Amino acid sequence: MTTSCFHCLEPVPPGFSAHVKFEGQPQPVCCTGCQAVAETILAQGMSDYYKFRTDSAGKVEELVPEQLKELLSYDNAEIQQDFVSQQGELQEVLLSVEGISCAACAWLIEKQLLGLKGVARVDVNTSTHRAMILWHPQQYKLSEIIKSLHQIGYKAYPFQADDEAAQKQTVAKAYLRRLGVAGLMTMQVMMFAFAMYFGMFSGMEDNFEQYFRWISLFLASPVILYSAMPFLTNAIKGLKAKQLNMDLPVSLAIFGAYAASCYATVMSVGEVYFESICMFTFLLLLGKYLEFRARLKASEFTANLQKLLPLTARKLLPNGEQKIVAAKSLQLSDQIMIKPGETIPADGVLISGSTTVDESMMTGEHLPVKKYQTHQVYAGTINHDGVITIEINKVGQNTLLNQIIKLQHNALTKRPKIVEVTDKVAQWFVACLLIFASITAVAWYQIDPPHAFWVTISVLVATCPCALSLAIPTALTCAVATLTRKGILIKESHVLETVPKLTRMAFDKTGTLTEGRFSIESISILDKSWQESDVMALAVALERYSEHPIAKAFTEQLVSPRQLSDVEVVTGSGVKALFNQQPVAIGKSAWFGNHSSFAQATLFVDGQPVADFYLADKVRHSAPEIIHYAQGQGLSCHLLSGDSSNAVKDLALELGLDTYKNACSPQDKQRQVESWSAQQHIVGMVGDGVNDSPVFNSAHLSIAMETGADISKNTADVVLLNSDLKSLQTLHQVAKKTKTVIKQNLTLSLCYNGSILPLAAMGLVPPWVAVIGMSASSILVITNSLRLLKL
Amino acid sequence: MSIIYILIPIAILFVIIAIGVFFWAVKSEQFSDLNKQGHSILFEDDKEQHNKSNDRDKSI
Repeated sequence: MTTSCFHCLEPVPPGFSAHVKFEGQPQPVCCTGCQAVAETILAQGMSDYYKFRTDSAGKVEELVPEQLKELLSYDNAEIQQDFVSQQGELQEVLLSVEGISCAACAWLIEKQLLGLKGVARVDVNTSTHRAMILWHPQQYKLSEIIKSLHQIGYKAYPFQADDEAAQKQTVAKAYLRRLGVAGLMTMQVMMFAFAMYFGMFSGMEDNFEQYFRWISLFLASPVILYSAMPFLTNAIKGLKAKQLNMDLPVSLAIFGAYAASCYATVMSVGEVYFESICMFTFLLLLGKYLEFRARLKASEFTANLQKLLPLTARKLLPNGEQKIVAAKSLQLSDQIMIKPGETIPADGVLISGSTTVDESMMTGEHLPVKKYQTHQVYAGTINHDGVITIEINKVGQNTLLNQIIKLQHNALTKRPKIVEVTDKVAQWFVACLLIFASITAVAWYQIDPPHAFWVTISVLVATCPCALSLAIPTALTCAVATLTRKGILIKESHVLETVPKLTRMAFDKTGTLTEGRFSIESISILDKSWQESDVMALAVALERYSEHPIAKAFTEQLVSPRQLSDVEVVTGSGVKALFNQQPVAIGKSAWFGNHSSFAQATLFVDGQPVADFYLADKVRHSAPEIIHYAQGQGLSCHLLSGDSSNAVKDLALELGLDTYKNACSPQDKQRQVESWSAQQHIVGMVGDGVNDSPVFNSAHLSIAMETGADISKNTADVVLLNSDLKSLQTLHQVAKKTKTVIKQNLTLSLCYNGSILPLAAMGLVPPWVAVIGMSASSILVITNSLRLLKL
Repeated sequence: MSIIYILIPIAILFVIIAIGVFFWAVKSEQFSDLNKQGHSILFEDDKEQHNKSNDRDKSI
């Protein structure tokens, strides 16, 4: 039985034994990092964390001296300029913290930092994973704050909130205030309305009734003039752009009924509708706010793009010295040095050294790319194993990373037509409604001038498209909430409409249909005097010293490794060492002499090849199931991969995909999807890498895996937070159900509006019937939508 | 019955105060992270810590 680590809950590796004392009981930990963190937490009396946390902590890696040095650069005033703001004597910084998983983490961080002298205020937000810290710079340095966070197991980076995010926060707060006013006031207005309803049946003194009307007017005014204002401004904005939107009849009804009610109050004639318009405003606002929140959460989740780029760079001065400068201040043709493990801060040409670079965040392929002199490297990619010097040839907006971001922004402005179609239908509906109301007004003015205004208002109230305007948003909001609970993040409102219409699904290979992690598929023994288990044990022992992704496939094997001596890692080739005084090595097959095979790794003893290892990426266990489901639903499934190997074909055959295409560049993928669209197919694309983000823009629906690059998650319409392909099935089912509910809602509200319209126009609907009808139809629609929450 | 001419305005005053409190809560970001605020009650020494930090605020 494997035991799990007390701190991170990951299994403790066999042979490792270390403990921490929690409430008198020894508890196992999985590594020295977790041990140090757990001990710090317990020693400082913060054991509550372990009692109340609802999620496990991340595995802790110890800081290497390099990273510590980098932290010190955060104290540099020039570098701080970008992310530290002065608040009187104090300084304020926003840190993006990795590893916050639940409220207990927030408590832990706040307690740890408030224990430091000079830290005045800490505010941790568990939904955005950010912490705002207000501290006294003379007493404590920023690097020390970040270090003390690391002591309890959290990695932190300075974060620059962009204007867009700040603006969204302001909008969210404005929504909340409007909702608060509408909610509280509506309750009051309803109270007086009920008093008046009773008065209508049992008789009420005129002066009381008049008093109640004035009070209602007073209470309803803030709701209409403050909370309902966005509807009016939207309607006016629409009119200015020569468009009729749903906000127009909504605001006509609200403001019309409000004006009429005011008139009725002042002149003490006719009816007042304050309670209906207040409730209507509140419900409408609530729907809009929930929709906005779902989108806000999605964008916050993926907004930490800044983290991709380091804030500092090691610049080489002409006299050969090194100086740490702010990455932002780098100029064209500056020379900078990058050490292993560091993120490259700018695009440039390699001028000395050689290395392998992890470009997976750009390309989505997990194999590192070899880089020699004159090769181009890109900002945001990670330098693996060599010390390199690059000459910068692109800065700021021109870097590949920023261009990809720009591409996305452009794509966001031209969205699929489905949204436009819905808008057009709404326009027609609104136009018809307005025409009908005007005809009513004119007709009644001819027949019975004193009643004309009241009948027209009655038509607007009774036919007020509130059920109609609630029909789609409430259903969508409920469906989005359900999906969020299931780990499916919907970022665009058109998603649920698009999903049931899909006819084609295209999948990326690495990281999407497969896990993006290598495992050993087969071993071929070349020297028959060796046993497979001995070969494996030796290979595992050697690969332990390598940082290469392929090595991970070996170190995951559960065999007891052999003792080695004189280990040497040879960049670009592999690892060699002495085993029982015999030279052994593992690495690429052509390392010694001319042995060549398709194997990704070969084991050599005395320079002779002994065994070839064939590696493969593991297929996600849910992949066959989801392909089967999709094909059962009449969708054809296709594979579009950047990988050029045979693995693509094998995978396509294994999963029974309809077609496959290998060695696709991002443009190839985009072209393929566009040609499908041209054949009237509705295409969904599932992927994870940055290379998928252009094709995401062409596809009607784009779905990204949580494990993918931040950029692809930002572009995608849907993010699968649990990276489980099975979620696609859930998404499809919920979307189909949503479509049904929306249809029912529309039928319901159109039936109601259609039947009440002629009656109201003939002046046969007394105002209170109009109000009840309007409320009842809205409640019916909302209740119907709520069914989606229970899926 | 004419007492309602006085009581209702008083009730309205309370509502206005409630709205003021709500606006203040929105402004001080109490709604930005509902998850954390909901759990904070579980942690015992939160209060003491808070006082300490407040004291420190004053001393600075």
